[in-house]
Amino acid sequence: MNTQASLVSKVLVLEESGEHLIALKAFCESAGLIGIRPQNGDDASVLSILDSNVDLGGILLSEYFGTGIQLARQIHNSRPELPIFLRRENCGDLSDIPDCDRMIFRCVYTLSDLQPLQTTLEHSLFYRVYPSQLVRGISELTRSALESTFRGCRIEQEPPYLVKDRIIYGELFTLISIDSNWCRGYMMLQTSEADIKTLITHRDGHEEGVGFRDINNLLGEATNMVWGAFKNRFATRMHHENSLMRIQVPIIINHGRNYISFGSDDPQLCFKYTLWDENNPEIGSVTIHQRFVFNLAWSPEEFDDDRTVDALVSSGELELF
Amino acid sequence: MAQIIVIDDSSTVRNEVCDFLKANGLTVTSAVDGRDGLDKIRADSALKLAVCDVNMPNMDGLTMAEKVRNDLKNASLHIIMLTTENSPAMKERGKAAGIKGWIVKPFNGSAVISSIKKLVG
Repeated sequence: MNTQASLVSKVLVLEESGEHLIALKAFCESAGLIGIRPQNGDDASVLSILDSNVDLGGILLSEYFGTGIQLARQIHNSRPELPIFLRRENCGDLSDIPDCDRMIFRCVYTLSDLQPLQTTLEHSLFYRVYPSQLVRGISELTRSALESTFRGCRIEQEPPYLVKDRIIYGELFTLISIDSNWCRGYMMLQTSEADIKTLITHRDGHEEGVGFRDINNLLGEATNMVWGAFKNRFATRMHHENSLMRIQVPIIINHGRNYISFGSDDPQLCFKYTLWDENNPEIGSVTIHQRFVFNLAWSPEEFDDDRTVDALVSSGELELF
Repeated sequence: MAQIIVIDDSSTVRNEVCDFLKANGLTVTSAVDGRDGLDKIRADSALKLAVCDVNMPNMDGLTMAEKVRNDLKNASLHIIMLTTENSPAMKERGKAAGIKGWIVKPFNGSAVISSIKKLVG
């Protein structure tokens, strides 16, 4: 029987009072949230954070933080995919808020009653069941692929998390479709071209530097290896539906805003890996964001971890026919 | 004349495999996909071994292998697939096309070089 993976999600906590922060901190820890606070409390600083790669799952906003409702409006206009959970001082509803602003908020809660927040988080962020074997397996096979693609690198990894964010990290990302009898969607790897260039140039001693096409190919090959391993382990049974009849939706990319949408509001399953050259750690690291977007089909009850196929032949060895 | 052709759309893999085989005293050429590979195999009857990816644009590796046997009527070229694929169905299709062997990426040259040298003769 598959157990459910324990996942976390980052939330931007916009609270004006230390006392309230302490109360929310305890809640976040119990609810699987990692709270992030802005250094400055002005609206511009908050909006600036939203333009960076924080990989958020939502926003906990106090009605008295910054300009309050006005800030919420700006956040919603800028990033409508991020759910805003509004904390009010006394009233647990939105009856005194103009109608046009009510739809901005996913829920309203007070510190004396956190149940609405808990319930809404479960429905808007943590509602999908991700099998532990899947989450652990993705980490294992990705680390193996990265180790063979970026030889001589040490790989560190953050705990897997869920995001609602649609901001693309770095300039370089790959996208490949995932298709099986229990899930359909995409996998992305996102990274910074400059960081990979520095790493490879130092590692391989290329005095003239490495071309961007070489870097593209390197990330492409890493993607291919992760995809192949995923397929061999988790997608061994294909559905028999006619491929021409399968549903597709447009993927929308806005280059100017580093934004990508798969047409679904579902949270994305994310992994973050940091690569260090073991012999030259001083040259800096490469961060690779891996995102799974199961936007076309998701039936985890059909999930199957087929390691037997993997075990037949060790990678890299020749199986003679 | 080259003994081996490495066919892969990834220049990273092409370069890695070609460099390794050359370092082991073999003469090597390369192609960027199945269609390019088929053209080069057609043009060079001295080739003894093809190391070929499966998933490639324009023409996949299994289709190329089938065309080598059926269209070019070349039964002497040994073909080894080097791929992330590991499905029994694909391997069966490969066997039917007369493929000699299957390597699941990543390429571990030291583990396969003696077999490759035997195939090349």
